[in-house]
Amino acid sequence: MKYGISFRDPTAETASVLRERAAPLDTVKDKTIALMDIGKMRGDEFIDRLEQLCAERGIKTRRYKKPTNTRVAPREMIKDIADDCDAVIIALSDCGSCTSCSTHDLNDLDKRGLAGVSVLTTEFRQAFESQKGSIGLDAAAVYVPHPLQNKTTAELHQWADAAVDEILQAIAHNTSSAKAMETA
Amino acid sequence: MSMNVKQPDGVLIFAKRECETCQMVAQVIGQIADKMPTIVYTQDDPSFPSTVSALDDTSLESSYAFDVEAVPTVVRMKDGKEVARTFGWNRSDWEKLTGLKGLGEGLPEMRPGCGSKSREPGVHDALRAKYSKLDFKSRQIRLGEWDDEIEACFDRGWSDGLPVVPPTDVRILRMLEGTSRKPDEIIGDVPPNLSPITVEKVAINAVMAGCRPEYMPVVLAALEAALDPLFTMHGLLCTTCFSSPIVVVNGPIAREIGMNSGINCLGQGNRANATIGRALQLIIRNVGGGHPGELDRAVLGGPGKYTFCFAEDESDSTWMPLSVARGVGPGKNAVTLFQGDGIQGFIDQRSRTPEQLTKSLAMSLLAVGHHKLCEFTNAMLVLVPEHYAIFREAGWDRARITEELHKAMVRPGNDVIQGAHGVGEGVDKRRADEMINKFWPEGLLIVQAGGQAGLFSAICAGWTGGRFRDESKPVTREIKI
Repeated sequence: MKYGISFRDPTAETASVLRERAAPLDTVKDKTIALMDIGKMRGDEFIDRLEQLCAERGIKTRRYKKPTNTRVAPREMIKDIADDCDAVIIALSDCGSCTSCSTHDLNDLDKRGLAGVSVLTTEFRQAFESQKGSIGLDAAAVYVPHPLQNKTTAELHQWADAAVDEILQAIAHNTSSAKAMETA
Repeated sequence: MSMNVKQPDGVLIFAKRECETCQMVAQVIGQIADKMPTIVYTQDDPSFPSTVSALDDTSLESSYAFDVEAVPTVVRMKDGKEVARTFGWNRSDWEKLTGLKGLGEGLPEMRPGCGSKSREPGVHDALRAKYSKLDFKSRQIRLGEWDDEIEACFDRGWSDGLPVVPPTDVRILRMLEGTSRKPDEIIGDVPPNLSPITVEKVAINAVMAGCRPEYMPVVLAALEAALDPLFTMHGLLCTTCFSSPIVVVNGPIAREIGMNSGINCLGQGNRANATIGRALQLIIRNVGGGHPGELDRAVLGGPGKYTFCFAEDESDSTWMPLSVARGVGPGKNAVTLFQGDGIQGFIDQRSRTPEQLTKSLAMSLLAVGHHKLCEFTNAMLVLVPEHYAIFREAGWDRARITEELHKAMVRPGNDVIQGAHGVGEGVDKRRADEMINKFWPEGLLIVQAGGQAGLFSAICAGWTGGRFRDESKPVTREIKI
């Protein structure tokens, strides 16, 4: 990422330059989690599995899909997510523009009080860190391997299986679902 | 940077096409370049002068590095160091500097040059920020190429809700030129977090508020007043009450920096009034950590928490300025900070005598805080010229007006004790038999300001912290230039 204007911190500098993100939910029980598909190819296959895994855990989700990964989400979509959901999982960024735009989406939803996490491929760790820095949000991320475009659906599903616990822990302290608790 | 690159022996010439003298000496520059090592830096048009191949200095980096003040400037270099320079056209100087004879035959003996582009208004500061080593202690925040700097400030929580001016290095440098105080000087600890604040941080927040550099002395004095323990800024910020600092500026500086003490002076539209008060509030927010809803617990707050700053009208010599009444010498610059709320209008278009007007003002002043609360808050009365004229024409000065107003507000305790007239609020029941003042004797501050027409004065209620007479008071500070 190229740098633009720079300025000086007007605060007492007792805190990080990054704004603390919205606090994770205490529990996912009775909450609705937004699954935001950024609109990049193959991401939907990963999210399909994530949706399934949440359902198996008794976690209520709602699917959203951006018209394109190359722009930030439409304002209406941000509003709908903020109105109807309690936390958000944004997936799956594996390019520069989608990393930048999805981090802005994460910031917009954070400012509306939603705990959120972005799922990206490892190649874009540095881009995400840069974007976090320039936005000023201590945003959360979970990484899956890179590249993803040449993987099979089964492989993407395996990645979702491997990442789901970390993803949920990023948005809630207690990721035990209603169903699991009832069973227990 | 050019200064670090060893220059060959010979001459350096700085010029620009838009300078007529530079155009006139273009041939001379060619003459010199034919005879000795010459580097020509052109500030505006790389194709100028056509007599030599010039180096493009449209970035002005080299002009800044050599501190060029006028063009043409000729610098003689020897062993990598400057040994002589001249500017403008002066044949004998040029000949002496180059050691060449017969330069510019047919030209006049001398002709002054033009200002260097690197010295145009605003340019030198920008070049300083870009090319010199800065010693700012505040950490640098770098945005991405496409990020919006205004939104970035909002996102970081640095704003009072209105856009702030991004505090870039060049703006901070300019702001610091408004004061002779060193950037690393510590002014005090800003509540509620009691974080130390330097002059540099004041400048950064003053930039963000939209101040001009010449406001800096006023901002610094206002901050010093706010940090005086007697002002109780800590409590004032954290209070559930409406109040915030009201800043009144006295002395010639108010006029020099264009403050408004006249029409609509408590309202919008004047940069100094608006931004000096705002700078103080941004400092409390950004350095002190006073964020509404967190440690700022105002149940309602008030518009004065954006900014509330104005100048006193000192044009009427019969009126003693507030600062003078509070112990600062006449003609000196000062700020007075009062812990106050918004404006309660006082409308009286019928009083003809000072006695009538005093009674009338007293009726409204008694409503400050609560009609039955006494010695509980201070108050500021902003007396407009038409109301003051009624007093002045009867020979009443500040002291007399203040004294008469206090007298007109003394009431029997029975009238104002808790429960009296069926109202629970009021003064302690044990004071039923006393005669009770509305305000402490020093607790009524009168300021003269406002437009010449309109019998509408203003009362700013004071903060409830004022009930602790000796613990919480308005503070006046002389402004150090």
